[in-house]
Amino acid sequence: MITIAGLFTFDNFRYLFIGLMYTLSVSMISTIFSFIIGSIFGIIVYEKIPYFSKFVSISVDIIRNLPLLLIIFFVYFALPKIGIHFSIFWSSVVAFTFFEATMISEIVRSGINAVDIGQFEGARANGMNNIQTMIFVVLPQAYKKMIPPLVSQFISLVKDTSLATGIVLPELMYRGQIIYGQNSNYMVPVFVILAIIYFLVNFGLSRLSKIIERKMA
Amino acid sequence: MSDISMITFNNVEKYYGDFHALKKINLDIKKGEKVVLIGPSGSGKSTLIRTINGLEEINDGQLLVDGYDLASDKTDINKIRKNVGMVFQHFNLYDNKSTLENIMLAPRIVLKRPENENHKIAMELLDKVGLADKAANMPNELSGGQKQRVAIARSLAMQPKALLFDEPTSALDPEMIGDVLDVMKDIAQDSDMTMLVVTHEMNFAKQVSDRVIFMADGEVLEDSKTEEFFKNPKTKRAQQFLSQVEHH
Ligand SMILES: Nc1ncnc2c1ncn2[C@@H]1O[C@H](COP(=O)(O)OP(=O)(O)O)[C@@H](O)[C@H]1O
Ligand SMILES: [Mg+2]
Repeated sequence: MITIAGLFTFDNFRYLFIGLMYTLSVSMISTIFSFIIGSIFGIIVYEKIPYFSKFVSISVDIIRNLPLLLIIFFVYFALPKIGIHFSIFWSSVVAFTFFEATMISEIVRSGINAVDIGQFEGARANGMNNIQTMIFVVLPQAYKKMIPPLVSQFISLVKDTSLATGIVLPELMYRGQIIYGQNSNYMVPVFVILAIIYFLVNFGLSRLSKIIERKMA
Repeated sequence: MSDISMITFNNVEKYYGDFHALKKINLDIKKGEKVVLIGPSGSGKSTLIRTINGLEEINDGQLLVDGYDLASDKTDINKIRKNVGMVFQHFNLYDNKSTLENIMLAPRIVLKRPENENHKIAMELLDKVGLADKAANMPNELSGGQKQRVAIARSLAMQPKALLFDEPTSALDPEMIGDVLDVMKDIAQDSDMTMLVVTHEMNFAKQVSDRVIFMADGEVLEDSKTEEFFKNPKTKRAQQFLSQVEHH
């Protein structure tokens, strides 16, 4: 047990903390982008525009059913071959954004579906066009219903950022590996520490979403 | 009432899949006319009234509303909806907006009515329907009768040329029906708006309407002056229907 004392240094914790910041910033930036793109996809699919909606919904289905690691590798290793270069950080953001956007588009589509048809008809009969009806009446109600699934999506994203270890994004998981790489005795305690950090962050988020939900009810 | 047509059906047909919901409908409703549409459940009353503001599309024939041909690609359905209000059986108030905002929303974004004028008109309408004290309440804090009166105020705020009502009192507790009917009677008496009302309230029909249309099985079976209809229903179906609703 003596041999792990060297693990608990300020530097190691600072090193992990910066990893956590990477994890959270990639998650947050991807979530914001994917929320916007996912909403647009979801609305397009919902609106059943000839051909276009079908095209988007098939694309969404394809991406949703690919392994996330494949998408990450594709963005980082394959896109440069056709002349599109992103840094490690932005490759991660792009990959997570696209993957998450497909998930969120499903959440948005079913959120809109859960709004009573009478809300649409009330607005349409009141003179509002399709877009006005969506923006002022339907989406505010749909997003409210979508808070719990959106937060759980964000939580899985925080966990999934660990996959970016594969392209050496210096996030939490990667930094854990670097630390126990120096001394294999550190392996078990490092995993425990990582587990605790992931748990605290995600548990905190899910509590937060419950509070928001209760406030808005 | 004038001689100019507000709503005209020429041989209108409507299908839901294979089901023939409206059969060769011919109607002409003049500007300012107050018309009541009655008939047994499932006869196509809601379908007919919902074709007028394009909530249901027609499959054949011609439907003219305020001179616009609803089946034409050139017609902007939003323009018609601006001028034709609708009051629903289940109110359909915006659940995410207060009473006042329910009334002010469409005039603000569709008509671009200036905010202070919009507020003034909305408050006057709330006062007219007896709910000025509920301006800040959310829909789920109102009774059914109050919701329906807000819904009527919301339609009126658009200052429509025609107002459609689809069984506005059918979802209400009996003690709330009178208030809503009173508001509707006031509107009928005070305004030159065209009104088409689907209802089972025969007293309202007798007091307020110029004309009664009776439907059964997707067809218009009678279309006559109110007095004449109640004194002298021509078809067997209408006679049966009247004896049923009047014995309730
Ligand atoms: N969206 C729909 N799809 C299929 N059938 C419908 C639809 N709406 C109404 N119908 C059918 O059309 C007929 C007329 O309905 P409706 O216009 O609602 O009658 P009413 O308002 O007179 O009770 C009914 O038989 C009903 O089942
Ligand atoms: Mg009906």
